[in-house]
Amino acid sequence: MRRRLLEALTVASAMIALMVFLRLSVAGQAPAPQPAASTPARSAAVPKTAWGHPSLEGIWLDEFDTPLERPAKYATREFFTAEERAAQDAERAGNAGRNERAAVGSRQDVAGAYNAVFTSAKPTGRRTSLVVDPPNGRIPALTARAQELNLRDRQYRLALLQNTDTCKNKMTACNGWQYGPPSPVRSEMPPSYNTQRMNRHDGPEDQSMADRCMSGSEPDFGGFRRIVQALDSVAIGVDTGQGQGFQRIVYLSGNHPPNTIRLRHGDSRGHFEGNSLVVETTNFSPKFPIRGAAENLKLVERFTRLSAQTLEYSVTLTDPTVWTAPWTVKQELTLQPDTENRIYYEPRCHEGNYGLPALLIGARVDERKFVEGQGPDPASQDTASCLLNPEPQ
Amino acid sequence: MRNWFNGSIVAAVLATAAVSAVISLSVARGQGQAARPARTPNGQPNFNGVWQALNEAHWDLQSHEARAGMVTQKGVYDYEYARVPAAPVVALGAAAGVPGSLGVVQGDGQIPYRPEAAAIKKENSENWIDRDPELKCYLPGVPRAMYMPYPFAIVQGTDKIHMTYAFSNAGRVIHMNKVAGPPDDTYMGHSVGHWEKDTLVVEVSNFNGKNWFDRAGNFHSDALHLVERYSPISADAIRYEVTITDPKVFTRPWTIAMPLYRRLEPNATVIDYPCMEFSEEFMYGHLRKQQLVKRWEGETMIVEITRKIPQGERLHDWYRR
Repeated sequence: MRRRLLEALTVASAMIALMVFLRLSVAGQAPAPQPAASTPARSAAVPKTAWGHPSLEGIWLDEFDTPLERPAKYATREFFTAEERAAQDAERAGNAGRNERAAVGSRQDVAGAYNAVFTSAKPTGRRTSLVVDPPNGRIPALTARAQELNLRDRQYRLALLQNTDTCKNKMTACNGWQYGPPSPVRSEMPPSYNTQRMNRHDGPEDQSMADRCMSGSEPDFGGFRRIVQALDSVAIGVDTGQGQGFQRIVYLSGNHPPNTIRLRHGDSRGHFEGNSLVVETTNFSPKFPIRGAAENLKLVERFTRLSAQTLEYSVTLTDPTVWTAPWTVKQELTLQPDTENRIYYEPRCHEGNYGLPALLIGARVDERKFVEGQGPDPASQDTASCLLNPEPQ
Repeated sequence: MRNWFNGSIVAAVLATAAVSAVISLSVARGQGQAARPARTPNGQPNFNGVWQALNEAHWDLQSHEARAGMVTQKGVYDYEYARVPAAPVVALGAAAGVPGSLGVVQGDGQIPYRPEAAAIKKENSENWIDRDPELKCYLPGVPRAMYMPYPFAIVQGTDKIHMTYAFSNAGRVIHMNKVAGPPDDTYMGHSVGHWEKDTLVVEVSNFNGKNWFDRAGNFHSDALHLVERYSPISADAIRYEVTITDPKVFTRPWTIAMPLYRRLEPNATVIDYPCMEFSEEFMYGHLRKQQLVKRWEGETMIVEITRKIPQGERLHDWYRR
């Protein structure tokens, strides 16, 4: 019995060795990637994992500041010149406006507490926009249905503001609306599941996703990404939005779950094509739309290791119910030192979220004071938007 | 407390495991799931995949009887065993009880609390709904995340091992290379691992002391230090053992152990349990303008349960159907 077992184990070990050998050999024969015209020259020294996949491991960050959409004046030009970048950096460094205070004691002053220290600026990147396709660097036009939904959403939000000084004083936040008595829509359900801050605080669902500690969503262009890579799956820990990061698993096998399964971060399945990990993500939840796209959204991401220090990231967003064409974003991410970035990936916004209950308590106090004749009608107070857009129309 | 990892069983299991690991190489696991080698290309046991504990440790690490409800109250008798479900769960009938367990605490099955800590544990247990961080969907901490009743994924990288838990989308990185400790204490701890032959040994520290071990009120402080040991039982099972040291709460180190099982169904996937949004009613319901749970007195929720048995669903209707 014991001898048979040993024999079986020997055969077993031989099979393992053979399988590992075969797997490595196959991986080693992966086709060479085709260089793309718009990317930096690929270094010959692209790190590989022990099993032959291009290594994507490490902490990655877009170290540059690039607008999502391209200003129209640059038309189809994808890159800045070095002189243009230097000029923009100089201009922003001298922008004292980010540190200017409104009248001390005013609401605007309190709301503007995030000065240049909090909103630090990255250097200007070489790209004129993150969007690289369509070639004009602009997100394609919305479908008629998406425009209609956006209009209804905007009208609802404006109606919540119509009795406030923001509309009375014709501030930009009231653009397209008129001052008037409190709107009856204050007691109506929003036209779609709310994800943004609005001038009503009846319960947690009236707050923005960020106020509820749920703003982290894919695709994320600003946060750190920690990639841990295995033979059959890849983990991506994203740190973004003041402790609102999230974890993704990219399975390199299997299928998307049935469409009854709806996930905040979708379901990601990937495979390697040359030096690129290609990931398709579907099954998004209607509760967490990305610029209006949710249940019908499909992402195709490509993670391509260009060199020891650089990872190219691109993502194509497709949702024919929202955009009239797919669009693609591209970023070059830089490897960050592991030892100096040890903790930020623990997303613990929810655990310390005093703000959400405090905001709801404040709203209930305001209502009570009004009923008791000791305070203004809450409908006349802008606790959502005017503070962020104090300029008159 | 019985030790289910008895020596002869371990030998037999390991032997079968080695063979079955090989079989798994050549047998397709089912649609969509690639055959998985028993070892990674780096030569370590292959822990990649979706895993889950299959026990009752999330209710109570210690051995316990089945209970009539997650929350109970005194019945007509004074006996502990005669308690009846209390208001928060009574409308859920037999679906809201607690299953019994042999427990996972090794040795004598006792948790060596210091006297003052034992009193806190008892209070925790009596005030479970108010105190357990799980009910608020806070990051679950380690080791609790490992045996909650939800799956988690292990991604075994070159110098990091990443774990992603369905519960609250929590995550954890085990550093297999040298990194400095975190600049602040954490919910999920700072994990540093190494291999001792086929066992993954992980030291976990830098906890903030806000987590519990289970729903029975077992707790620790910020002085918690863990040594986790992950040893393959087979290609599809890991013996997970944790030695727990916390001199502020316990008089000596103590150990829990349990198997973790691979989720073998085709296309095994960690489906997030997004409890942050699920817990908002519990946490903030009293602050709504129009309350959904009908009676709050300040922050006190008074659940008035009206359970009408619909026409045709009474016992004699159902029985005769």
